[in-house]
Amino acid sequence: MTVALHSAESPSPARTDQPLLEGRGVSKFFGGLAALTDVDFQVYRGEVMGLIGPNGSGKTTLFDCLSCVQRVSQGEIHFKGTDITKFKPYQVAHLGLARTFQVIRVYRKLTVLENMLLSLQWGNLTMRNKFRPNSAETEARARQLIDFLLLKRVTDEKAGNLSGGQQRLLEIGMALMPDPDLLLLDEATSGVNPTLIEEIKSRIRILNEEQGKTFLLIEHNVQFISDLCSRVFVLNYGEKLAEGTPDEIMNNQEVIEAYFGAEAGDDDGF
Amino acid sequence: MEQLTQATINGVMLGGYYAVMVLGFSIIWGVMGVINLAHGEFIMIGAYLTWIMNKQFGWEPLTAIIVVVPVMFVLGYILQRILINRIIDRPYLISLLVTFSLAIIIANATKLIFTATPRTVNTVYSGFWRIGETSITVPKTRAIVLIAALIIMGLLWLFLQRTRLGKSIRAAAQNREAARIVGIEIAAVYALTFAICIALTGAAGVLISPTTPIYPFMGGPLTLKAFAITAMSGLGSIPGALAGGVVLGLVETLIATFVPGVGTNLGIVSSFVILVVVLVVRPQGLFGGLKAAEAH
Amino acid sequence: MLATWRRYKLTRWLALVLLIVLILLPLPQFLAPERKLVTNSLLFSFTQLFMLIWMASNWNAFSGFTGYVDFGHAVFFGLGAYGTGVLMVKLGVPFPIAVLGGAIVAAIFAFLIGSATLRLKGPYFSIAMLGTFVAMREIVRIIKPITGGGSGLTLPPYLNRPLFYYVTLIGMAIVVLLIWLMRRTQFGASLIAIREDEVGAEMRGINTTRHKITIFCLACFSTGIVGGLWAYQNTFIDPDIVFFESRTIELVMMTILGGLGTVAGPVVGATVLYWLRDIIWANFLDYHLIVQGIMLILIVLFVPEGIMGIIGDPDSTSLGRLWKKHFGQGEETEQPTTTTEVQS
Repeated sequence: MTVALHSAESPSPARTDQPLLEGRGVSKFFGGLAALTDVDFQVYRGEVMGLIGPNGSGKTTLFDCLSCVQRVSQGEIHFKGTDITKFKPYQVAHLGLARTFQVIRVYRKLTVLENMLLSLQWGNLTMRNKFRPNSAETEARARQLIDFLLLKRVTDEKAGNLSGGQQRLLEIGMALMPDPDLLLLDEATSGVNPTLIEEIKSRIRILNEEQGKTFLLIEHNVQFISDLCSRVFVLNYGEKLAEGTPDEIMNNQEVIEAYFGAEAGDDDGF
Repeated sequence: MEQLTQATINGVMLGGYYAVMVLGFSIIWGVMGVINLAHGEFIMIGAYLTWIMNKQFGWEPLTAIIVVVPVMFVLGYILQRILINRIIDRPYLISLLVTFSLAIIIANATKLIFTATPRTVNTVYSGFWRIGETSITVPKTRAIVLIAALIIMGLLWLFLQRTRLGKSIRAAAQNREAARIVGIEIAAVYALTFAICIALTGAAGVLISPTTPIYPFMGGPLTLKAFAITAMSGLGSIPGALAGGVVLGLVETLIATFVPGVGTNLGIVSSFVILVVVLVVRPQGLFGGLKAAEAH
Repeated sequence: MLATWRRYKLTRWLALVLLIVLILLPLPQFLAPERKLVTNSLLFSFTQLFMLIWMASNWNAFSGFTGYVDFGHAVFFGLGAYGTGVLMVKLGVPFPIAVLGGAIVAAIFAFLIGSATLRLKGPYFSIAMLGTFVAMREIVRIIKPITGGGSGLTLPPYLNRPLFYYVTLIGMAIVVLLIWLMRRTQFGASLIAIREDEVGAEMRGINTTRHKITIFCLACFSTGIVGGLWAYQNTFIDPDIVFFESRTIELVMMTILGGLGTVAGPVVGATVLYWLRDIIWANFLDYHLIVQGIMLILIVLFVPEGIMGIIGDPDSTSLGRLWKKHFGQGEETEQPTTTTEVQS
């Protein structure tokens, strides 16, 4: 696995290599309502990309399309060079794309360790292998990740009893279990206290820089985005509004207008 | 040819009845997300009430509707308050198990009270109308049942479209959260919806009484038919219920007419087959009417 | 292989089950009708209980683990019974092969109906199974040349109570053991994930449809075996006694009373309810189904986690919390990690 590192200081130049994840003209309609219109984007191996936009701009819908929970209405999505547009969610997961959720989805009645073990569903795990118990290595890996994500104290606690921030960390851990190439994190910092946000940030940085994991983050926390991301992609009303380095985006007049609804004439705001 | 025409007429008349029968089921599902597996049992209660009015007081079966509807409304309201209210917004597992138990309780309680003997009601509208010079006939009772069914559906449509409560029910069916935000008192709407649907279902029991024997375990197959029609028609859609009801009615009568030696036993099998076929062929976008309740 | 198996930690529940099996195994040796200590009817009674535990475990392995309620599990019992009966009576197949054939028939039908309805999430499966149950009884009645229709089939009589006792006891123990092992594998855990959050499970890489159909077929195969055993023991089958309404209800009740989705739940629930049922039958002969229905509602509403839930995790049920509040130690009711945030 080649690891191309891009720190926040060196904005990526125009890329010529093949993107890890690519959307071509992605559109999603709900009845007559367009949630996404003709969105093009590329995520390259080894980068941390931010996905921002006002509420209702289609960020989570885009995530749902990428993980194939929602079928796109038009356009194509390619992951690792494979057209995944018509894949089932579990097939995408087997290819190495993992995600977390805006509304936390941990198995509340299972313990943290059980949650982790359950999330190991990689592609080569055949039905026959599934009837064998988890190997010692698997459990060791789960415990290692739990430790890494500061959840050691609650390893045998039911996930439903964890705080919101701990559940977010657990979700990240569950996404990491199958050793994916790309992680989609949907609002990993919402409802998390500031100390823990710093921890999440440092974990993402370690995963990115030391293990070469690629990230696509939906975020509202501006500081979080500008600290972590090399590139930011902005959605507004389901359309691509801007793309660039965090600095460029923060100073982009259109983006500011979209967020604060300043002078935009036809903008009723949210 | 005449046999086919006859079967078609019978099927359409049966379908009209099915449409009324299914609406209570599909509206409760659409509004509350509760699948009422005791639906057929409520029809059965309506039918038994009709039989009592008919036998004890000599009422014409269809006039029993003025007694059955209020009684069932009250029954539905009480049941919603003490039982159904606890299972709204819970996993399907819970609501299915509870309504399933309710069905067993009602059916067996009825058996205890009225014994398993099938009952029939007496009506003055027996006999047939003959159409022209052909051998095609229209049974008077079934025709009257069809007319009554259409009137009930018309009233229901007016209620849902024109009244404040009806609009609240439709709003709650489409989006519970939004309905709450715009100031609809959702608990009251649920209770009234359930009561109205049970009253409607009781009325369906009145309508069924002149055409079939009434016995404690008649409910199970009716619930299944209600589901088969709902699978075709969508949740809470009156035109959909009519279309789905007529399809099931036609399939049942045509099979009973043209497949020899199976009789009416296969009626239940045909609704089962329709159900499975619909689930296989159009699993997504199955529901045309109100928005389907989300799974889990 | 053995090394892998050693990794399953033996819990006290499993030890208890094995102990009970070992105690029960030699019971027929004490068969002494004249002293009324161990009679044939006692063996028969135990045999019935073992069959119920066996079937409740099957039902639980599918419905309890995945959360998809199978309201027509008796269909597979019936297919097993009729498969065995038809093979033995019409084709003269010896019993062991016939019972296997019956179970395969049940599994094949489970595959067909499962492929059609388990692709859908939500309640469709449950209602389709309710329909299957009602329809199957009529279908069996209609195809008279094969099934004997309403007048039923008479199997070659074979009245060896101890044999049925041994077979059902060992079969039940094996099934409980297998389910216990399954719960500890990725497969078993995946089923729980499907129950807890199916969409999430799918996005985490679980092919939910395939899992659901696999466990459904396995459970129905196992129930088919019970059906075959029952048919042979009863020596007579007809649509009404085989496709008997309360057969499924009982399984559902037993499992939920014991603890849905727990391995020991069906065993405990079936045992409790089987003896309780004798009391209900004796005292409320006419309305035992009404009592059962009311019990089921009360259990579902107030003790949804069942007996095992209360024993294993008192906090998860309202009754358990009440119990703990009044009889447990005060400190334990505090949940240690609810409010504490992890600090760096």
